[in-house]
Amino acid sequence: MVNTASVTDKPIQIRVFPKRLLQPETAEKLLNEIDQTKGVIRMLLNGKNLPRKVTCGPGTGADVNHPDRMIINVGGCAFELHIIVGEVIVEVENESAMEDVKKACERALPFPFEFKRGHFIKRRPTLTDYGKYGFRSKTDERINLEDERILGLIDPHAKAETNLCVIDTEKK
Amino acid sequence: MAYKPQYYPGNTSVAKNRRKHMSDDLEKLRDIADEDLTAILGHRAPGSDYPSTHPPLSEMGEPDDPIREIVEPTPGAAAGDRVRYVQYADSMYNAPATPYFRSYHAAINFRGVDPGTLSGRQVNEMRERDLEEYTKRQSETEITDWGLAGMRGCTVHGHSLRLQEDGVMFDMLDRRRLEGGNIVMDKDQVGVPIDRKVNLGKPISEAEAAKRTSIYRVDNISFRSDKEVVEHVQRVWELRTRYGFQPKA
Repeated sequence: MVNTASVTDKPIQIRVFPKRLLQPETAEKLLNEIDQTKGVIRMLLNGKNLPRKVTCGPGTGADVNHPDRMIINVGGCAFELHIIVGEVIVEVENESAMEDVKKACERALPFPFEFKRGHFIKRRPTLTDYGKYGFRSKTDERINLEDERILGLIDPHAKAETNLCVIDTEKK
Repeated sequence: MAYKPQYYPGNTSVAKNRRKHMSDDLEKLRDIADEDLTAILGHRAPGSDYPSTHPPLSEMGEPDDPIREIVEPTPGAAAGDRVRYVQYADSMYNAPATPYFRSYHAAINFRGVDPGTLSGRQVNEMRERDLEEYTKRQSETEITDWGLAGMRGCTVHGHSLRLQEDGVMFDMLDRRRLEGGNIVMDKDQVGVPIDRKVNLGKPISEAEAAKRTSIYRVDNISFRSDKEVVEHVQRVWELRTRYGFQPKA
């Protein structure tokens, strides 16, 4: 039989939706608090784009220099925020980790937030992913990726280097 | 007894604010210098002459026309100014104005206006010097709170987003921001940097915004709590339906 489903376990996905759009300092604090929680597999940041340049209108081409587009440090990994953080989707291993993430959010966020469990990041590769990465071999139809956790974290056409941050790979 | 326009029904603070906006009975909250306003509009350099699109009407030798005798041209039209625009975006989180009421304010209280009302923004075209007068009125009075509204010629995104942590409406192009308790704008409305920092005053508090808003919200004053407004809206709807009903069709 041909093996197609490589991800068999079902981790829990949570959406943290704060009442306000987060400033970089608060986002950094929140992400570090979540990162220090045991059982966190991956996080996805969503928010509104902070462009480098004006892209439309008579001012096209002018530099924006948005003060919120800054470099933050999460778990020893520095990366530039391209967005103003509006929500954080977290994937954890089990129920107890979910409670710990909730406590981490309560510690980091000075205002209320929504904390919902659901299906927010894809769990299985789609046709587009197979188009990009291909099969492992003729007999093994699993997707040709070493670490399937990156699936669903970035757009298939986006560059991984600027959009993906891998933290603490050795321990995991 | 002299006729007194009624403008808008309702007894809630939202209805009263709507009446205020429509009647131009507005409280002035801040002073913005003419040159600063010209700079953030971005249509001409502050202090320069108004470019014109035709000679002054007095020099044009217009044909005899009774309407031209009745209607006095606006200063901008009389001078032959260009038609320019200003556009505002107002947050859904209790901003004082909404696009509709900005348009009502412009159309009722100013002449030579061409308001464009959209879901999240309102654009208004006028002759340049008329536009500056109109913009000054809207920018200095309670119709605009610069924390919850923005002058945005393009990239208006933000009116339906959650507010930032500092209570200011998100601006992708960072035209204006909170600095030392004041809203400061250092770009013009299309995001081109200008040579000055224009102080647009202090943003109003959350509680004050809830009082000054012209937006019905369930978490503030709900639309259904204002019986007179509901009755009025239903009446307008009914009359429009009856008027549009064509038994023969």
